Amino acid sequence: MESTLFEVSGLSKRFGQIAALTDVSFHVGASEVLGLIGPNGAGKSTLFECLAGVLAADRGVVAAGGWPIEPRKRHSILFYVPDSIAPWPAQPVRWILDFTIGFLGGRASIRDEVIEQLGLRDLLHQPIGTLSKGQRKRVLLAIGLLTSQPALLIDEPFEGLDLRQSREVAGVLRTYAARGRTLFLSIHQIGDAARFCDRFVLLSGGKVCGEGTVSELAAAASKPSADLEEVFLALT
Amino acid sequence: MDKEWRELVVSKSWWVLLFVMGPLVGVSFISSVRTYAEVSGLNGTAAGVGEALSPLIGIWAPTFSACELAAVFLLPFVAIRVVAGDRQSGALKLELQQGMSPFFGIAAKALVLMVGWLIAMLPSASAVVLWKSYGGAVYPPELLTLTGGHVLNAGLTIGLAAAMSSFTDHPSTAAILTLSFTVGTWIINFFGAIQGGWWERAAGFTPAAMVAEFQHGLIRLSTVLVAGTLILAGLSIAALWMQLGSPVSNRLYESAGIGALAAVAIFACTFTTANWDTSEARSNSFSEADEAALRKIHGPIRIEVHLAPEDPRRLDLEHKALSKLRRLMTETQVRYVSATSIGLFEQTSAGYGEIWYELNGKRTMSRVTTAEGVLETIYSLAGITPPSDADEEAFRGHPLAVPPKGAGVLFYGFWPGLILVSGIFTRGRFK
Repeated sequence: MESTLFEVSGLSKRFGQIAALTDVSFHVGASEVLGLIGPNGAGKSTLFECLAGVLAADRGVVAAGGWPIEPRKRHSILFYVPDSIAPWPAQPVRWILDFTIGFLGGRASIRDEVIEQLGLRDLLHQPIGTLSKGQRKRVLLAIGLLTSQPALLIDEPFEGLDLRQSREVAGVLRTYAARGRTLFLSIHQIGDAARFCDRFVLLSGGKVCGEGTVSELAAAASKPSADLEEVFLALT
Repeated sequence: MDKEWRELVVSKSWWVLLFVMGPLVGVSFISSVRTYAEVSGLNGTAAGVGEALSPLIGIWAPTFSACELAAVFLLPFVAIRVVAGDRQSGALKLELQQGMSPFFGIAAKALVLMVGWLIAMLPSASAVVLWKSYGGAVYPPELLTLTGGHVLNAGLTIGLAAAMSSFTDHPSTAAILTLSFTVGTWIINFFGAIQGGWWERAAGFTPAAMVAEFQHGLIRLSTVLVAGTLILAGLSIAALWMQLGSPVSNRLYESAGIGALAAVAIFACTFTTANWDTSEARSNSFSEADEAALRKIHGPIRIEVHLAPEDPRRLDLEHKALSKLRRLMTETQVRYVSATSIGLFEQTSAGYGEIWYELNGKRTMSRVTTAEGVLETIYSLAGITPPSDADEEAFRGHPLAVPPKGAGVLFYGFWPGLILVSGIFTRGRFK
């Protein structure tokens, strides 16, 4: 069994009357590919933002090695790539990648490799604000892959990508997972998640409904031969 | 810093500001040079019109007023674009994960905006060069004071716009709040003019009043400190609200703390009395002989003025005499008494128009509102002989009857053209 990179316990967040997250607890293993699965509005993005310290949680602890890590210091273990953003829209992709290396402490040694893997060579001089949704997603993934934190949290990594691109990106992510980087991916398409992730955290209505591998979740749902979709429906 | 600079350079709002500054400064400069020439053409070298022929009042105050206009109506949008842009685009969520304090981030933005503003002030600087080429007189201390005032005013705009951008979700809301704040300061000025009292005192620290002081070559330490405190408070609040990971309640408490600290600091600053008159015409001071004589007077002078806030005599008394007296004799206490704001229906009231002076237990009354009349009353009350002004050379101004040659081409043609070409070239280069 893999060692634990960090643990989340009792994480809660409310937006007025709406409970976005309620007592969320799970753990993230080192070098695993963990999928955060849930329908739209389940609280996946909220959970990632709370974990990354860019949104204040009402309660809860994120701990590594038994020690709680303050939101301001989460950047020591994880980096979060939000979905549907176009950061620094007037700046060209080339500058954004260099900025990631210079300011966000990214790894210059893999810059060209990431550019090739994500097919960004032709986009380097394009401002990110002028890119299509899929192209922008690939730039965001590049930003995430360049960063050097042990864990990378990506919100909807396949959103906006066509089938071919999704498969290519999945391959790229697998490469980095194989090199020891922990990936924690929020995915609302259960089919994509089933193909790609080692373990899963099922989130529905802001609550964790299950955590484990497909077989562990199937056992918890008392459906030993069920696939992830059936397990998800049974547990949520 | 490189990133902030790039963000400024690619922002259209900054280029629009630069583009507009040329014609704005041009209109003011050309009309003031023409007016100055007309007054000079009348051989106005008598002492009575000396102040009118001071380049500070005649040329620089109106020319640099373009900066005041730009600081109120254009600079906020540039600042909001730079400060709110990261939040709007989602870049802030990435930048916050770097671990750097948002205070450094906001400081970098403010610094870059200030450099951007100094570049926007270049047309005003070119007006100085043009004036010099006409053979006009330039008195660097007063010009530097005026420039410093507009830089401080821009700092206030940046601090305010940064604060508004950081705790609103949308830049348009931030723009509305920033402009509302500015309109609020105008309302304070308005109430100060008609109500007097604390309103008048508060109005003395609004950006418009601050700029007016610098336009007359006056530097008051209290004004500079209050402006500095407000800028720091604005930037600190902006930095606080950039910390998206901090609970809103914490940010509210911390903002309230900064507000309270700033209020205490501002209150303390208002007690500092140091000030400097950098105008060549000494327009904020009595003559050197009078100042020497006034320094011999010991004990605070108490003055009770029975004039309404909107009475022109009160304005005359305040600007021509009492403000100068307060600068020199910081313990002077002035109390304005009136039942109405305009004083029109008080004219027949007993005691209206009287100015009572009290020094070391002795009291006297006068109705004169000129500087000479006020000084005469004070000398008589103090029992000292008025000094002779015979030896002192009065400022007679620098008349110059020249047309604003080349100004139209420079401000309406060359500058906008230069900005247009630079904008296209630079924005392209930064992409």
